[in-house]
Amino acid sequence: MLAQLVVSGVAAGMLYALVALSMTVVYRATTVVNFGHGDMVAAGAYAVLVFAVGLGMPFAAALALATAVLFLFGVLLQRVLLQPIIAGPHLSLAMMVLAVGFTLRGAERLEWGNEVINLARPYPRGVFMLGSVVVTMDDVVITGCVLALLLVLFVVFHVTPIGRIIQAVFQTERGAALVGINVRAFHAVMWGAGAALGAIGGVLLALIVPLTPDMGQWVLLQGFAAMTIGGFGSLYGALVGGVLLGMMQNVLGFYVGTVFIDITAYLVIILVLLIRPNGLFGRQSTVRV
Amino acid sequence: MSGGTAKLPQGDAPAASWRGRRAFWLVPLLLLPVPALLNQYQQYVVNMMLMYVPVAVGFNLVVGNLGLLAFSNVAFFGIGAYTTGVLMLQAGLPWWMTIIPAGLMGAIAGCATSVPALRGVRSFYLAIMTLAFGELMRWVYIRWEPVTGGSMGMAVPAPDFLGWPLITEGRKFYVFLALALLVVIATDRLLRTRFGRAFLAIRSNEVAAAAMGIPTDRYIVLCFGWSGFAVGIGGAMYAALVGHLTPVSFDLTELLVEFAMIMVGGLGSLVGSVIGAVVITAAPQVFLDFPGFQELVFGVLIILVLLFLPNGLASLLARLHPGFRDRYHRE
Repeated sequence: MLAQLVVSGVAAGMLYALVALSMTVVYRATTVVNFGHGDMVAAGAYAVLVFAVGLGMPFAAALALATAVLFLFGVLLQRVLLQPIIAGPHLSLAMMVLAVGFTLRGAERLEWGNEVINLARPYPRGVFMLGSVVVTMDDVVITGCVLALLLVLFVVFHVTPIGRIIQAVFQTERGAALVGINVRAFHAVMWGAGAALGAIGGVLLALIVPLTPDMGQWVLLQGFAAMTIGGFGSLYGALVGGVLLGMMQNVLGFYVGTVFIDITAYLVIILVLLIRPNGLFGRQSTVRV
Repeated sequence: MSGGTAKLPQGDAPAASWRGRRAFWLVPLLLLPVPALLNQYQQYVVNMMLMYVPVAVGFNLVVGNLGLLAFSNVAFFGIGAYTTGVLMLQAGLPWWMTIIPAGLMGAIAGCATSVPALRGVRSFYLAIMTLAFGELMRWVYIRWEPVTGGSMGMAVPAPDFLGWPLITEGRKFYVFLALALLVVIATDRLLRTRFGRAFLAIRSNEVAAAAMGIPTDRYIVLCFGWSGFAVGIGGAMYAALVGHLTPVSFDLTELLVEFAMIMVGGLGSLVGSVIGAVVITAAPQVFLDFPGFQELVFGVLIILVLLFLPNGLASLLARLHPGFRDRYHRE
């Protein structure tokens, strides 16, 4: 039974990992924690709903278009709303993205109300048996997609020059600008990338959980929990944290009580931060005066 | 708050400050005949504004004055409301006797929230943690069914004040006005003393404040405690106003409402908290109320304020008349 719980936990955990990864990309590149990310993830799923069901496009085209739309949204968000106040207190940036998230959620609720929507799977349902462990087609597709995206991210961060730019900007924006990096354009692109990655996460999520405007806040806290376990800013940490969270939910839910599935993420966040304020694998940050 | 003005030490001319304080007392006096002019529904909305005054004041104290991004306000609010509800329903206490316990429970929750802050959890870590705490409390309201009534909620008995049954919205108005006024005056007093200045010092630079000999830990606990107390009283008022407590009322949408109040009113401004409570409560009554419309409007409002009016509506009023400027908030 434990093996079954772990395997289904990994598939769910991969989704949390993808959400955490897309938040980490933005955080690494811009040092802003995206409090509106959950709603962007939900927006990605709603965008696919519009394109695939509303306009009758094939699923793959709808997914590509939704990712592109969310990329554009991220770029515009940075350019129009964040750039003007970027010199102000950091707090304002966090509040701005939070407000953007609320706006997105409101727009979704205005259009679709509180009704629960299920996205149709673009692939056949199926079940595989690995010994006594049941693996569903959903598990395979989700894990496959997330691993593929992770590979892409790994290459971008470690093989291409973009990775070095990310590191440079994260360390010091002024220094990066001095050596000729266009920090503004870079920030905009990274916001776009974060939103696009989140959108893919949202679509995958909508395959297995019903879509509601309130999905965003739940997604946000799962993503935060994964990031907290893994340490903020670490890509592998986000992956490990997401998978651990998924497994913990299943194991706690089965052995302790199903009511704990809902609050695993909250308990994880509170306990981890109480014991280690910078996350499990996070580095101690120094205070600058 | 305005960054452009010269940095001067505290204190206007005493005469002007004295006049300003006298003018302040005119506001509640002018409000006294309000119940005679409004119908029950309008009075209900006005009462709700008054109910949100302590809530916004408490929230603003931590986020605006202390500068810590703590989103646990809805948790204090809910704890206050449920304390009142449980004490009335289970212990049979009259409403007015539950106001102080509701505030105290809120204060305890506030002090508990300050513990991670003292352990060095800061900025977004604190935001995430307090967000999780708020959601955890909502789970408690749902799961602790014998006490809280679960997701169906609990009906709060009819409130009374010192034996005076608050059967009409007009009667509630006077009690609410007094409570809101007390919280505002007490907070004003607090901010005028070294406590208020210590909060500002911590917001500007915590390490420097500690280096100057300010016991930052003590002030952080105090700020959270007073914030929780004020918000808890707001919760008691909510229980009396609405008469039915459900876990849904204390979710993240409620956080948005309270967050919009302090952002639109003006971060770190006592006048701003009051303005925010009034404006944000009135806004959904003016706009058509579709599901989601409120979130959309409040979200856009916060975005506009952040872009064009970083110090909120209070700064707009202060520009019109210096009497609206908070004297203890100048930096």
